[in-house]
Amino acid sequence: MGSQGLLKSRTAKTILDGIWRDHPVFSMLLGICSALAVSNRVANAIAMGASLTFVLVSTAIIISSLRKMIPNRIRMITYMITIASFVIIVDRFLKAFFPGISESIGPYVGLIITNCIVMGRAEAFFIQNNPYYSVLDALSNGFAYTYTLVIISVVREILGFGTLLGVNVIPAAWLDSWWQNWVVMAMAPGAFFLLAVFIWISRTLAKIETKDMG
Amino acid sequence: MKKVVLMLLFILIMGGILSSAIISVNYFTAPIIKANEEKKLKTNILMALEIPFTEDDMDSVFQQKVTVRRDSGNEMDYYVSENNETAFEYKGKGLWGPIRGVIALNPDFKTIKNVTISFQEETPGLGSRIAEKPYLDQFRNKAFSPSIVITRSPAKKDNEVDAITGATLSSKAFVKILNGELGPKIEKITGGN
Repeated sequence: MGSQGLLKSRTAKTILDGIWRDHPVFSMLLGICSALAVSNRVANAIAMGASLTFVLVSTAIIISSLRKMIPNRIRMITYMITIASFVIIVDRFLKAFFPGISESIGPYVGLIITNCIVMGRAEAFFIQNNPYYSVLDALSNGFAYTYTLVIISVVREILGFGTLLGVNVIPAAWLDSWWQNWVVMAMAPGAFFLLAVFIWISRTLAKIETKDMG
Repeated sequence: MKKVVLMLLFILIMGGILSSAIISVNYFTAPIIKANEEKKLKTNILMALEIPFTEDDMDSVFQQKVTVRRDSGNEMDYYVSENNETAFEYKGKGLWGPIRGVIALNPDFKTIKNVTISFQEETPGLGSRIAEKPYLDQFRNKAFSPSIVITRSPAKKDNEVDAITGATLSSKAFVKILNGELGPKIEKITGGN
């Protein structure tokens, strides 16, 4: 979708497509599973978004610089080993320097390997474009994924835990009188509701019609 | 034929370069990761033994106040405080994932001093509340022999604890781990005495 248009892209168009028109989550519905899983706390969402962006950018650099050398028939394997290597690097890095976050998003870092956003951008964009546009595309897609996660996690953390980035944000008077943490928000169903609402609102704003999706 | 060889060569070279990148990252991070894990274990041991410490003096406090010993069968480490309380690691299956932590026993080896959870993957907001203080504090000075029992009515006897409302299964899984781990590990430490 839109990849022909991207071929003759300018810098601005590449960025805009990534963060809005071809938004990976609400337009292409990619990377949903991790968006549901790690968006219960803002810190997790930021870490996951940053990890995915790093993997995307690294993959963009490697795949787009080698795009003329990569034999067509084994390009999928090439994507996989590139993505897998960078995911392992991110995982080690988080374990070493952010052990708390690494534990709470645990298996989902490893699952970036199967995140369709990375595979999808590699096949739709990086393999056909030069490193400059590929890195831009990677950055804007990574940013789009991150801000989606952060928006959802802000709502989920406040409603589900009464905190924001681990800091209590509910006024003490409310806590004593009527406030109850909305447990369903911290769990998977809360993520489904919120993601659906987010997709609904943003698709309406972006004027994406389901018929066009084929 | 030539094409196939080239493809193979390409993958091999690519894999080689990426593998060496991973190996070098691993080389630099492995010692830090190991130190993090050690630090976490020590923190949990100090918490279980209720020895006060701050983040900065954790290592020195641990060295001064805790003795590391090994059981006679050379299978596990256990940790003894100045007051002769014994702590050791436990692990087992929760409702959804593994649960690990440290448990400390009073010198009589019959009652629990304190228990911590260092890792769990129970449902956030429900089962994960087993790692919160109000639930874990219930285990203080409970007798664990023959076993700890979960009750629905308020716990009265000295081996009873309350389950968490909405998280009965996680509460039960946790108690089951303790019941399963305590006996055999204490036997190893005391040599059956």
